[in-house]
Amino acid sequence: MIVQKRETNDVETAADEREAPVPGGTAATRGFSAQLRGASLWDLVQLECLSRSRRCIRVVGEGGVGYLFFDRGRVIHAATAQAIGEAAAVEVLAWTNGSFEACERPWPEQPSIAAGLEALLLRTAQLCDERAASNLVAFPTRPGDGDETYEELQIGDLEAHGGGEMRSSNTDDMLTPPPRVEISGDFAVVMRLGPTGAIMSSRGGSEELGQAVAYVERLLQLTGEMLGLGPFSALECTFTHERCLIFCEGGGETVALRPRADANLTALRERLGL
Amino acid sequence: MTGTEARALSETVRGTLATLKDVAGITGSFVCTNEGRLVAREIPALFEDAVLSEAGNRLLRVSETFASNGDELETAVIRYGDHRLFLKSITGGLLCIVVSGPVNMPALRMAANLVGRRISPAVARTQAEPPPEAAPARPDVAQAGPGRSGGIPGMRRFRGRAVE
Repeated sequence: MIVQKRETNDVETAADEREAPVPGGTAATRGFSAQLRGASLWDLVQLECLSRSRRCIRVVGEGGVGYLFFDRGRVIHAATAQAIGEAAAVEVLAWTNGSFEACERPWPEQPSIAAGLEALLLRTAQLCDERAASNLVAFPTRPGDGDETYEELQIGDLEAHGGGEMRSSNTDDMLTPPPRVEISGDFAVVMRLGPTGAIMSSRGGSEELGQAVAYVERLLQLTGEMLGLGPFSALECTFTHERCLIFCEGGGETVALRPRADANLTALRERLGL
Repeated sequence: MTGTEARALSETVRGTLATLKDVAGITGSFVCTNEGRLVAREIPALFEDAVLSEAGNRLLRVSETFASNGDELETAVIRYGDHRLFLKSITGGLLCIVVSGPVNMPALRMAANLVGRRISPAVARTQAEPPPEAAPARPDVAQAGPGRSGGIPGMRRFRGRAVE
């Protein structure tokens, strides 16, 4: 998780942000930059509320990009590609991995969220419970980091793909999804297998793929043991027309992804040690 | 191909594999035919031939598994702890490169492409030929079809067919 309170004159994106000053928007001020790993989004949101600042925060998570607008200790507006208002806030707060950084966005004419932060968090917790069989991809620990969850997202990579286009003086444009910045949207197939090879969740996958993934993982485990290279953790295959990623998660689960042709896998590769 | 020719071919391939070590981080490499036969190796003796052959067999099965779903494997990167295994499909076989620690991946891919291109003819030739050890016995095996009385001495047969 990245928290960045940026000075406008030393960040590559600041120039873009300055191009269209936003009336009523947050003016970037002096402050510290910080990088926190393993921080919870809820903690960061509560911190932001405590500071009673008036600013927009861009959250990049497994569901894509979302914006939270804070004012005087409350979340007053939220927007994602799919939703706006309270629904968007709950959607964003349900994300478990990603980045969190201040940005400049057109300020909404009217608040779209009436509920307080506690109420939002409660609804989010409820949503998370209902999504017990969610197929979101939780990225695994980076090799060598022990049990610490590595949640840092390469925001620079993501911005390079659409950060500039996300800034607009038109409020309606806030709902336009930025091209190819969603982690989950970059994958045509997201499949999660349990320790016994059972398909726990699948989006775009097939039973045949599940079988192939389970067998390949076993073969690679055996190969690693035989060569004394250590435990298998991740695989990236390049086929004639497509690519495929398979990686192990905690609890013996295996995730298989098929990225779209133009997906940027730099951050994911780095995270998986590929 | 005689045993001598096979050894010469293997030595040529080994020499080409050695060039991969120009890329820092590469521990070694080996090549298997599509039948899992070890063609050549340029990797520390810590890895025995039998182990490499068996590992190559399994990696080929990985490729076959994907192929059964319509995906023809070109390259693969496999992460094992601090090590990585880079695979490249070549004509007639599979090039396997063992990497330890950090490596310049674009340089590795380019080196693997060049080496793959260079060794492909030799690997394809090895793939097409019977194993050198079995070469003298091959004609007998070919003749030992159903109903024939010939066969490799000691081979177990029942009603003219070889018994596994």
